[in-house]
Amino acid sequence: MKNGSIISIKNVTKRFPVGEGEFTALKNINLEFQSGEFAGLVGPSGSGKTTLLNIIGSLDSPTEGEALVLGKSISKLSHKESALLRNKHIGFIFQVYNLLPVYTVYENVEFALLLQNIPKVQRQKMVMEALDWVGLASMADKKPDKLSGGEGQRVAIARAIVKKPVIVIADEPSANLDAENTYAILKTMRELNKNLGTTFLFSTHDEKVMGHLDRIIHLRDGAVEEDEIINVKTLTK
Amino acid sequence: MKLAFQLAYKNLVGAGLRTWLNVGVLAFSFIIIIFYNGLIDGWNEQAKHDSIAWEYGNGQLLHADYDPFDPFTILDGHGVLENELSKNLAPILLRQASIYPEGRMFSVALKGIDVNQTTLKLPTASLKNSNAKIPAMMGINMADAANLKKGDEVLLRWRDQGGTFDAAKITVVDIFETNVPTVDMGQVWIPIRKMWEMTGLENHTTFYVANENFQPSNISGWKYQSQETLLSDLNEIIAMKKISGSIMYLLLLAIALLAIFDTQVLSVFRRQKEIGTYISLGMTRAQVVGLFTVEGSMYSIFAMILGSIVGIPLFAYLAKIGIGMPAASRDMGVPLAERIFPVFGIQLIVGTILLVVIASTIVSFLPARKIAKMNPVLALKGKLQ
Ligand SMILES: Nc1ncnc2c1ncn2[C@@H]1O[C@H](COP(=O)(O)OP(=O)(O)OP(=O)(O)O)[C@@H](O)[C@H]1O
Ligand SMILES: [Mg+2]
Repeated sequence: MKNGSIISIKNVTKRFPVGEGEFTALKNINLEFQSGEFAGLVGPSGSGKTTLLNIIGSLDSPTEGEALVLGKSISKLSHKESALLRNKHIGFIFQVYNLLPVYTVYENVEFALLLQNIPKVQRQKMVMEALDWVGLASMADKKPDKLSGGEGQRVAIARAIVKKPVIVIADEPSANLDAENTYAILKTMRELNKNLGTTFLFSTHDEKVMGHLDRIIHLRDGAVEEDEIINVKTLTK
Repeated sequence: MKLAFQLAYKNLVGAGLRTWLNVGVLAFSFIIIIFYNGLIDGWNEQAKHDSIAWEYGNGQLLHADYDPFDPFTILDGHGVLENELSKNLAPILLRQASIYPEGRMFSVALKGIDVNQTTLKLPTASLKNSNAKIPAMMGINMADAANLKKGDEVLLRWRDQGGTFDAAKITVVDIFETNVPTVDMGQVWIPIRKMWEMTGLENHTTFYVANENFQPSNISGWKYQSQETLLSDLNEIIAMKKISGSIMYLLLLAIALLAIFDTQVLSVFRRQKEIGTYISLGMTRAQVVGLFTVEGSMYSIFAMILGSIVGIPLFAYLAKIGIGMPAASRDMGVPLAERIFPVFGIQLIVGTILLVVIASTIVSFLPARKIAKMNPVLALKGKLQ
């Protein structure tokens, strides 16, 4: 692990069994991410964006090669170890939010902290702080079905960020949002990236999202086509 | 674990109607199981109590040749017991006889009993206080069957010691009500002294009924049967009843468990995204399996609460006022009172709770096991078959 490097993808290939044969979703990928990056995977549908993010998030493991996340080789982790890695250090944001419907906004955000056995008083402070970041402190007692799409995704962001993870993985976070909401959540995430130093990894088709990224990795047919460093320092509308 | 309970609670309450349907069926099973067993236990206690009071006393001392299950032994199965040994024992002499009410013939067991006995509830004082030549009494079912009333006279035919038939009119001086059919149906009770005269079997006894002061000892020519031995047949019949009844409520329980199983299978399938989300948030698969299992077994806990709310007042009421038994069910050869007071013991309640909780935990665990093999990526996509 190089200094500052928190994710290191080395010769990663991923194949899925399809019928009798196999489908190669990722072909010999090599990538390195530094702490505090705000980077995105971009590419046509089926290019392997989600597959790569899932491997980095330890939800899946490479068929060949090695994926090191925070110094840990994903394919060597036990169920328990990978659960611990996700619980402590990786936040997920999904296209469809995946909020737990029977819990309130507050409880959805609190969930990861419950798993970490954090005492109640501290939990309360952390949850309200996270809801403040996304501007939803007043909605703490609502159920997810009472929220708009933009609010729902902001709750998902709060849930991902409340435990102050090192990495947040956001797979097409704006796919179901309009321009205004997309801008709002990007602004929020950018602030968190700046203030907390959290690394954000996106996948997106969305031009509006691409415009805000520091780094764009173009994938095509499971291979890196181009690794573009843009280095936008400030977020503009 | 505490977390699993909190989450399961929220999920169940959040699931609404489906939860309450499952809980309702399960609570119903709870109540039926406890009710049925409570009824049988109550019957058991009442039947034992009545059998002791009317027939068995504190055990019986039988003539060695007499076998209560073999009517052919009645003829010779009797003898004389030394006086000092017969302390605390009420003698009964048994003979086969027939009565002829309205010209019809009824075979009866003619029982001579010590009119001064107080061991059994049989109202022998009525025999003692009567001036009739041969006073007799019988149970109400026998009286009904023979169409006899108090004060009626009826012809009795019996064999004396030598085997020759003899006949005389007896007077029905008392008709008693009892739940114990074996002292009622086909039985005519007369004073034992009278019977000695009638048969010439002076001082002979077929069996004695012991009172609580009786100390069993080995007496040659006689065999002692303790209260427990005498009650063992009754225990067997009641155990059989319990088993045959359990088929009914186990079916009911099976339906309730099937409903939980079904809900769980559906849950695991429909809530894939939720499962994937739990895993992405850092739960291990084992924890998610635990969560779903706890959720399923929590049905039984809810059912217990609901069952208690409905059941406790219901059972308390029934235990107090008893349950009326239809007359038709009363000639089963087992003592059965008109009203049975169910007995709801701790053992029954705790046992039922354990049965239901363990069974529902198992049927919840079986479908939830599938989660352990789930690919979280596919689960998140909701793409598992
Ligand atoms: N479990 C799987 N089994 C078989 N094939 C799979 C599986 N998961 C992904 N694939 C295939 O791998 C390829 C890459 O999929 P992936 O989801 O990573 O693409 P993507 O870039 O995220 O696409 P999109 O923009 O549509 O989300 C696709 O062709 C997909 O069909
Ligand atoms: Mg994708």
